[in-house]
Amino acid sequence: MNYAMALDYQNCINCKACEVACKEENGVQLGADKQRIWVGVVEGTIFGKPFANLYPSQCNHCIDAPCVSVCPTNASHFAEGGIVKVDPHKCILCKGCMEACPYDARFVDDTMVAVDKCTFCDHRSLEAGGTTACQATCPTKVRLFGDLDDENSDLVKLLKTKRFFFQKEYTNTLPKLFYILPDDEAYAKQSVSHDTIIHTWDDIKPLYEEAKNRRSKEWKK
Amino acid sequence: MKVEISRRRFLQGSVALSVVGGTALSGTSIMAKSEEKTENLLVKKVPTICEMCVNKCAAVAYVKNGIVTKLEPNPYFPKSRNMLCARGVAGIHALYDPDRLKYPLIRAGERGDGKYRRVTWDEAYTYIQEKLVKILDEEEDNRSCIGYCAGEGLAEHTFKTFMADKFGSSNFLNHSTICLQTAVSGYTLTIGGYGLADMENAKYVIMAGANRAEAILTPDTMDMFKRTRGRGMKLVVVDPRYTNTAMHADTYLPIRPGTDLAFVLALTYVAISTKIYNRTYVAKNFVDFDKYEKHILEGGYTPEWAEKITGIKAEEIRKVAHDFMAHAPQSVYYQGRRTTWSSNDFQLRRAMALFTALGGGIDVKGGIVFGKKLPLGDHAVNAPMYANAQPRIDKNVAAVVGATGSWVGWRNMVAEGKTPYPIRGMFVYKQNPMLSVPNSTKTRQMFEKMDLVVVIDTMPSDTAMLADVILPECTYLEREDPVQSFAGVEPAIILREKAIEPMYETKPVNDIMRELAQKLTKPLWEITKKHDEDVQEAIEEDDEQTVFEDGGFDLAEPFMHSQEETNHHMFVSKYGEEAWKILREKGVFYPNMLSYFKKIDNNTYEYYPKDKRFYSVLKLEEEYDSEAFLHDLCVNPGDIAELKRSFNTPNKKVECYLASMVARKVDPMPAWRDEDYVKVPEGKFKFVTGRHAQFTQSSTVNNIMLLELMHENYLWINDKEAEKLGIEFGDTIEVTSRVGQVRIKAYPTPKIVPQTVFYIHGFGSKSEGMTFAHRNGASDNEIIEDTIEPVHGCANMHDTLVTLRRV
Ligand code: SF4
Ligand code: SF4
Ligand code: SF4
Ligand code: SF4
Repeated sequence: MNYAMALDYQNCINCKACEVACKEENGVQLGADKQRIWVGVVEGTIFGKPFANLYPSQCNHCIDAPCVSVCPTNASHFAEGGIVKVDPHKCILCKGCMEACPYDARFVDDTMVAVDKCTFCDHRSLEAGGTTACQATCPTKVRLFGDLDDENSDLVKLLKTKRFFFQKEYTNTLPKLFYILPDDEAYAKQSVSHDTIIHTWDDIKPLYEEAKNRRSKEWKK
Repeated sequence: MKVEISRRRFLQGSVALSVVGGTALSGTSIMAKSEEKTENLLVKKVPTICEMCVNKCAAVAYVKNGIVTKLEPNPYFPKSRNMLCARGVAGIHALYDPDRLKYPLIRAGERGDGKYRRVTWDEAYTYIQEKLVKILDEEEDNRSCIGYCAGEGLAEHTFKTFMADKFGSSNFLNHSTICLQTAVSGYTLTIGGYGLADMENAKYVIMAGANRAEAILTPDTMDMFKRTRGRGMKLVVVDPRYTNTAMHADTYLPIRPGTDLAFVLALTYVAISTKIYNRTYVAKNFVDFDKYEKHILEGGYTPEWAEKITGIKAEEIRKVAHDFMAHAPQSVYYQGRRTTWSSNDFQLRRAMALFTALGGGIDVKGGIVFGKKLPLGDHAVNAPMYANAQPRIDKNVAAVVGATGSWVGWRNMVAEGKTPYPIRGMFVYKQNPMLSVPNSTKTRQMFEKMDLVVVIDTMPSDTAMLADVILPECTYLEREDPVQSFAGVEPAIILREKAIEPMYETKPVNDIMRELAQKLTKPLWEITKKHDEDVQEAIEEDDEQTVFEDGGFDLAEPFMHSQEETNHHMFVSKYGEEAWKILREKGVFYPNMLSYFKKIDNNTYEYYPKDKRFYSVLKLEEEYDSEAFLHDLCVNPGDIAELKRSFNTPNKKVECYLASMVARKVDPMPAWRDEDYVKVPEGKFKFVTGRHAQFTQSSTVNNIMLLELMHENYLWINDKEAEKLGIEFGDTIEVTSRVGQVRIKAYPTPKIVPQTVFYIHGFGSKSEGMTFAHRNGASDNEIIEDTIEPVHGCANMHDTLVTLRRV
């Protein structure tokens, strides 16, 4: 098992149903800066005309997760299938993981007195036919949660037919949010920067398999 | 361009976010952290229907020990496509809102000062009864001296049954004249129905003023945004604002507010003058096309003419017209919902319908479709006749005032004391006219004139604070509501079941109507006997008991059955007991559902097989038969489009020329009139209003979960103009119109055209009972002027000029 998520980010309308569903599902602390999930907005003008792109996002559950490496108490750890979690009882709020995470995916939950982040809803998504709260509620079905190890999963089937990219790939954490690039060249170009690396399943599969084999000893069963 | 986003930067930069209730816990956090699977065995899953807006998405309420812990989408309903939006998920906080109305209340202070005393239900009913007896005696049983209004919802009809059929008032108001009346009527009189845009199959869509990313409409929102951005649907967005919908557009055309009609007329000019419209279709299906052709060509509605008015380049208009017709009949000029913009609105909607029809995209897959509706049984009501009940007061404020009135026209007559007979009171159900009707000052004046204002609601809204009696309704999660059938390409019947028992002393409206009716029946019968000569005569001929019973004067009679019993009767009479079991278990039913419904993957469901959907339903012959329908024939939709069909209009054709309107002094064909257009003088701005995806008008403003997403509204102003005026983000701006003044923070942005300012509708509650919503931002209707358009008396919500001052 190697859990990951594909995002058809072109579908996103910034309705924030995913944010609310995540909070309700997981009892996340209230407060606009207390989020396991968010929609990144890039907006501006080109030749005087407004434009905007939306990048729904959450923890990347990186295979080489720096947040896990820096944690002095092993509160941050890999759970089943490489899902990165925080054990609130071990967390001492040193905030090293928050500094280490290139995606800004972590925040302090004052009610738990611990760092909190996305869990890929492993309490419900790992059941047969299960899925994450953010995927289930989304009007335009941006997200698809699944197992990279399962060639027959809907996730791998999708990745085999599409091109995709990662955010901040240069930080080398091997992130697992796969942003699905539109087939249409013009729209593909509009939503990535000139130095974004475009991948296909064939080029990414060996890399991610190798990394998984290297790290999965640390993954809890 | 950079694509990487720092979340923190986003948090600082976005006006849509601010921190609320720093350490508060979400309502479910007490339960949600538990992961023990055994606990799940105790969870009851109740099918319900979301009521956080009007879409009625199917949901499942997870109930643990009598507490609703989670709302999840229910995949069975084709219209809601297995989703719950932010508001839908946050419905729990409507249920557990600490500010909810919990007990019946009677006003203890001056109207509007918010002082109420808690009373029993019986005390509240007695108070209403005594006032009504006195008023109706003085008004000699003119039932129409009590007005009533209702917000949209599954239980709206129950309230209406009481007020209209049983109590007997003709003065009903609902949201339509502050919402979509002009579009419904413009499309219906032209093509025989408002229809549904088939966004799953349309290839070219012009969306003007409608904002499906932020004003969610099911299934349109879910269908279209999977197909935009080079994935099957070309989208043209025409809007003074660059909205989240515009982000998905292939072409975004910023337009001056109030000029859409000029844009459509120019598109029509291009289509007709270059003969690119579907000529076979028009020849077979239009009536009076020659008149329209002449009118358009001789009217001089050229793209160059329209460019001067709209600000959209002539070549853009030409291109859109050509592209639209090239993709027709899978081309739609999207109808839109809240369409009360300017005084030419009815004509605008007619022109839009005609333009779509020129491409042949009506009653055809990928165009505007009518779909099929599954029938439900009847629930007959014996409505008494009151000889002294007068017709509605506002029937002359516009050319065609329907049974739902003209909100602004009606309100103004009462507020200004210009009614043909006194309006002594009002019953308000689930509506908040203080925030939803333009010119709040006059709405307040109207209520202040009344002897009895009764509000039935779940929250202490600004309107509730003007009531004499407040009756607390339970929320949608605490009641069963009337079963409802939804027309569509994939029709279905839905049922809202009760997730938990009503909290506090709240009740469903069916119970409130029954108990109130029981209280009123006897004393009001005495009034009728005293003043109603028809009844007096009937009693002389028959005995009193017979007249009372046969005449339907027992006001409680329609409400005597429980909602569940009524639903059972209405449904089982058509579909039988087996189907009833399915409906109660799944919350949704349509014939063959269990065999048709398929899960494709976690994101995709199929509701009807492709060849069983109702795309083309009109009869393809001369006479019209509303029951007849035609399945998708699996042939080229272009061929289907060209067939001669029988539209549901007077001439059974697409109507170019409405002769019946001439006598009413309404243009029989859409025409641009300069004198109707509100120009913006130097130094002033035109105010426009609108919605977004995190709140539903003013009804959800106290929801703590949604307030995290957006805590207050901001004034959008063009960034270049703001710079000239020295206005910066967050500055407090005083916005003044002829009718009111508000203060609101500024949001300078390139996303709005010059000479135009905007803020989102629904904010700015003044009721102190709304702890979290109290004075968050500004209410649009405090400054919107109360002018109405001439056809249906709809509010002109985009015709107000304002001045700005930095404070
Ligand atoms: S729920 Fe879906 S569409 Fe809405 S903001 Fe989240 S990802 Fe975007
Ligand atoms: S995104 Fe951040 S928190 Fe998540 S695994 Fe990677 S480094 Fe850790
Ligand atoms: S997977 Fe679950 S925890 Fe993670 S963002 Fe989505 S809803 Fe929140
Ligand atoms: S669109 Fe949202 S608020 Fe409206 S009914 Fe559906 S889930 Fe509820």
